[in-house]
Amino acid sequence: MAIHKILFASLLICLLIQSSHGATKERLFSDLEKSALEVTATPSRVGEGVVLAAGIDKLSITWKVSSTATKEPEFKAIKVKLCYAPASQVDRPWRKTENELFKDKSCPHKISSWSYDPAVKTAQSFDYTLERDIPTGTYFVRAYAVDAKDHEVAFGQSTNEDKTTNLFSVQAISGRHKSLDIASVCFSVFSVLALLVFFVNEKRKAKIEQSK
Amino acid sequence: MGDPSGEPGSSMHGVTGREQTFAFSVASPIVPTDTTAKFDLPVDTEHKAKVFKLFSFANPHMRTFHLSWISFSTCFVSTFAAAPLVPIIRENLNLTKQDIGNAGVASVSGSIFSRLVMGAVCDLLGPRYGCAFLVMLSAPTVFSMSFVDGAGGFITVRFMIGFCLATFVSCQYWMSTMFNSQIIGLVNGTAAGWGNMGGGITQLLMPVVYEIIRRCGATAFTAWRLAFFVPGWLHIIMGILVLTLGQDLPDGNRSALEKKGEVAKDKFGKIMWYAVTNYRTWIFVLLYGYSMGVELSTDNVIAEYFFDRFHLKLHTAGIIAASFGMANFFARPAGGYASDIAATYFGMRGRLWALWIIQTAGGLFCVWLGRANTLVTAIVAMILFSLGAQAACGATFAIVPFVSRRALGIISGLTGAGGNFGSGLTQLIFFSTSKFTTEQGLTWMGVMIVACTLPVTLIHFPQWGSMFLPPSKDPVKGTEEHYYASEWNEQEKQKNMHQGSLRFAENSKSEGGRRVRSAATPPENTPNNV
Repeated sequence: MAIHKILFASLLICLLIQSSHGATKERLFSDLEKSALEVTATPSRVGEGVVLAAGIDKLSITWKVSSTATKEPEFKAIKVKLCYAPASQVDRPWRKTENELFKDKSCPHKISSWSYDPAVKTAQSFDYTLERDIPTGTYFVRAYAVDAKDHEVAFGQSTNEDKTTNLFSVQAISGRHKSLDIASVCFSVFSVLALLVFFVNEKRKAKIEQSK
Repeated sequence: MGDPSGEPGSSMHGVTGREQTFAFSVASPIVPTDTTAKFDLPVDTEHKAKVFKLFSFANPHMRTFHLSWISFSTCFVSTFAAAPLVPIIRENLNLTKQDIGNAGVASVSGSIFSRLVMGAVCDLLGPRYGCAFLVMLSAPTVFSMSFVDGAGGFITVRFMIGFCLATFVSCQYWMSTMFNSQIIGLVNGTAAGWGNMGGGITQLLMPVVYEIIRRCGATAFTAWRLAFFVPGWLHIIMGILVLTLGQDLPDGNRSALEKKGEVAKDKFGKIMWYAVTNYRTWIFVLLYGYSMGVELSTDNVIAEYFFDRFHLKLHTAGIIAASFGMANFFARPAGGYASDIAATYFGMRGRLWALWIIQTAGGLFCVWLGRANTLVTAIVAMILFSLGAQAACGATFAIVPFVSRRALGIISGLTGAGGNFGSGLTQLIFFSTSKFTTEQGLTWMGVMIVACTLPVTLIHFPQWGSMFLPPSKDPVKGTEEHYYASEWNEQEKQKNMHQGSLRFAENSKSEGGRRVRSAATPPENTPNNV
């Protein structure tokens, strides 16, 4: 019975902890200032039906604070991320776009982070080689401007609001290696052979014993 | 029943009828010990152990136990090895939710057939070779994960790996050659429960192995493929250990050929008929699909669920998911034990109520798990759900031996297959489509558990009653003998083929509950020769 009391008490404590988290207003994507940054992303290879190779091809990314940005004094850093286009989110709820920022999973791949210097007004550009763990899909680039508390306040993206223009496709690496394949085959063969050798051996020993 | 003339073995003094299921040892007057045999444990006349000594590795009995449960556990590790790595695999292979769900269904479907075949294999080759063959021939399927390129390959490989779950049959078969039938319930329950733990171990093991390989410099999409080499090698190692250290029977291996004559006495067709026409069989098939079945389904989805819903790291999600499967260590035996306790007071009716209460509670906790919005409540709900589902598995197999004596093997096999079928069905309905989010799927799975546990109210034994109805008062039809002997026709009874069933009927009278048990012990009867 003591166990039951302990279990019940721990249940109560857990529920209390959960409720004591308090109600913090969740930060929403819709509250962010749109188009505060002008972002362009140009793949190293362009053309109809071109698919970029992860780990090999590059993106040339530029970002610039728009002249219409109102929250500009709060900017402390710019975070550039690779985001999924709607086509890559179909039937994949782990990439879903959510309005609550902490729940949103549509931009999981960090490209880079730059601290913001208000004195520099020109466009910043850099090259980014697609990482080898980028999955196959269609993407665009988004840059978030964050304040001193590391909260997003504004953003800009390389595509339009409906996420239909300027998208680019990436093909992931397969992760397969010839050496892996060969090792796999060797171990499999070893397993089957070892079994057969044991089996035949024991049958032979049993025959010898029986004939004695 | 007790013969007051005092012949050895006739006294019923001290016999309470409680000894048959989930006891650690069999007392000597009930099953005579063979004192000429030189084994570490006391054995009966067939040299099967009468005592279950957990922490011993003595050859052959306890060594067989450990080889058996560890190889079964290894197969659980490899069958569910993909589950905690799905967050990585889904990106590498560009999988959709349907692909992941279908792979989960495939992983539990293969063994429906392989478990049915395994019984015959054990009869032909013996359980040692049955186990070794399966474990070593399925090692290539585990290694072939390194070749997988897309959804089709992933589903196919998980299907093929799933065949190795048939080691459940070789495990239970092997135990029954080594342990006396009076304690086989506890032995088999522990072996099955500890084997199922593999589903939890893998959720810990695979993310850790993956992390180590990544730290050594491999990219994510190569690291997960390499990680599969670990369960693959476990297969090979266990196969070799089973072949070198194991033996089929307490006296050795060669006598397997001699003993085979005794095994194939009854006709398969007849046994199948009595299994299939007993309506209780099918209720248990359904029930086990919603205790074991939901356990297997949850093994497949829970790590990914915690990873996605609560934004955890892969190995953190793995640790939480592992605690689901690891609860099997004590939860399954505890379920059987609870059933036994209920039986001492209320007989079979108590067992049925215990099963219904435990399994329904598990279902309700599953609903809570789906609705939990914070990490802490989700973990609490998950653990309570795991205790409910796994204890229900133990409580199910505490009743199954009483459904039939003649067809026990097939009914156990069908029930086991029902578990896998329930798992495949549940994953197909709730976790393979975009119609439900995973948390909705869990909630509805919980509702389905509660609904599919209701049929236990329909299980009625004329001699013991059911959940709501008392036993039949008919002096002929309301006896254990009538129930178990009704599986034999007149010709078979004339050949005295039903003697085993009659003996079982006699021993099973304790399922009548407290009043029957206290009547069975003759009050203050001391035998004439003490």
